[in-house]
Amino acid sequence: MDEFIRIEHLNQRFDLSEPWLARMIYRRPKKFLDAVDDVSFGIERGKTYALVGESGSGKSTIARMAVGLLTPTGGRVLIDGQDLHDGSLSVAEQRRIRQRLQMVFQSPYASLNPRWRVGSILAEPLRVFRLVDGPQAEQARVHELLEQVGLSASDARRFPHEFSGGQRQRISIARALASKPDFIVCDEPTSALDVSVQAQVLNLLKQLQRDLGLTYLFITHDLAVVRVMAHRIGVLKSGKLVEEQATEKLIESPQSDYTRMLIRSAPRIHRAAS
Amino acid sequence: MNGEKSAWQRFLASDFFYDFKRSPVTIVSFVIVVTLILMAILADLVAPTNPFDPGSLNLMNGFTPPMEPNAFTGETFLLGTDDQGRDLLSAIIYGLRVSLFVGLTAVILAMFIGVSLGLLAGYRGGWVDAVIMRIADIQVTFPSILIAVLIFGVARGLLPPDLRDELAITVLIVAIGLSEWVPFARTVRGTTMVEKEKEYVQAARLIGLGSSQIMVRHILPNVLSPVLVIATITLALAIIAEATLSFLGVGAPPTEPSLGTLIRIGQDFLFSGEWWILLFPAVTLLALALSVNLLGDWLRDTLNPRLK
Repeated sequence: MDEFIRIEHLNQRFDLSEPWLARMIYRRPKKFLDAVDDVSFGIERGKTYALVGESGSGKSTIARMAVGLLTPTGGRVLIDGQDLHDGSLSVAEQRRIRQRLQMVFQSPYASLNPRWRVGSILAEPLRVFRLVDGPQAEQARVHELLEQVGLSASDARRFPHEFSGGQRQRISIARALASKPDFIVCDEPTSALDVSVQAQVLNLLKQLQRDLGLTYLFITHDLAVVRVMAHRIGVLKSGKLVEEQATEKLIESPQSDYTRMLIRSAPRIHRAAS
Repeated sequence: MNGEKSAWQRFLASDFFYDFKRSPVTIVSFVIVVTLILMAILADLVAPTNPFDPGSLNLMNGFTPPMEPNAFTGETFLLGTDDQGRDLLSAIIYGLRVSLFVGLTAVILAMFIGVSLGLLAGYRGGWVDAVIMRIADIQVTFPSILIAVLIFGVARGLLPPDLRDELAITVLIVAIGLSEWVPFARTVRGTTMVEKEKEYVQAARLIGLGSSQIMVRHILPNVLSPVLVIATITLALAIIAEATLSFLGVGAPPTEPSLGTLIRIGQDFLFSGEWWILLFPAVTLLALALSVNLLGDWLRDTLNPRLK
């Protein structure tokens, strides 16, 4: 099995304690929340792994640790065998790993800087990772990216507020593609969109996976989306992985009660399965 | 959609301009502010005489009432003259220049300090935030004019005597600037705390941008619109602060009188019957500060969609 990313015994403990002075005065102990508790799984190269679970189950926390936005309090994230959070890596090595990891965010309204033109938004990663030489090459690459996600080159001059939610999510995807990543975390990329637009965005993501050989970690609570997208599914509950299976197997014969409940509560998938 | 329309046409069709047209008070304030600013900029062309040129002054012209010929020289002055025979209209125009210059630069300084510290406090959080905001809290418990006097006094003490008059205006700007940064810092901190949680900031962190680049390139443009409103209101405060300091005698030197200095001079003669020396500079200051303030209020209401 050729794994791109391996997550080993991942832990995230948030300190929810009150300020020091308040603790001293009221004699309250420190409070912690284990948002992610000993989670391990791997994702095969070119495949999609979906994490499902209710709100607060730790899906997004895992996603943020997998791309390096958040440092785990325990465990490791291995990208092609290299520890992403290894402090001994040089800046250049970290940069090289980071370039391979990207993310598409949940809200198409908050994920694009409203004061930047689309062209600048897409050009930023190109500049930071020095992927193009000169303004002409940069512009050509921006146009190429826009066309890759089904928008037109002239959209580069417009501002994010001039686009619909689905189009903005396409811009988000184009930005994620700009640094030529191998791995993209999709954090509920369709939950803020209309059902009809959802399908278009999902199809785009699938097509890009085929064309570019991308590996996805897909975060969602929508089992209908999962069924279309994922090769494997992990079910999270209160920070723990309760079940992990290939997609069809998990939906047809769920092992844990919690998974069964999730499937029963998803109307579309339930009808399809029965 | 409206690609064929020019920027000016789009401005005329905007809600902003519509709101402006519907508010007569705002139009009047705007006209007053623009007129006064133009007068200050074009002082050399607009003013009948140069009040700073001792050669053009004639002591015999002293205390000429407005619109009346002087008893000795027969010259007439629109707004009268002061004790040294200086034409009041010219003095006001040049004083306006000093007042506006000090006010504007002080606001820019306050804005620079406040926005930088606010961004830093909001973005970093933790102890950086705690330290900056506690300093701000302590500072607002003092009246800002007191802080300005304090800074002014310390600076005068540190400067060599021969530089004091030369640097008086600079010291004044620094004193007012340092006493008005708190509202900027507080507002920017609040908006920064909201903005930094947004996903576009996460996306910027993801490609490995450093904190300073994220603060300046991504967050700053998104926190500036409330800053504009505060800047306008602070401009009125700064002009009044400058006048107050000059009135107290710790501001603009007599060689470069601002409106506040003129009011201080005029106040000596109020009870001896030369009312015009006090009245006209005071009315100018009132018109300027009030108009700027009304503009600021209107701007705040217009740019805040929740008030509509």
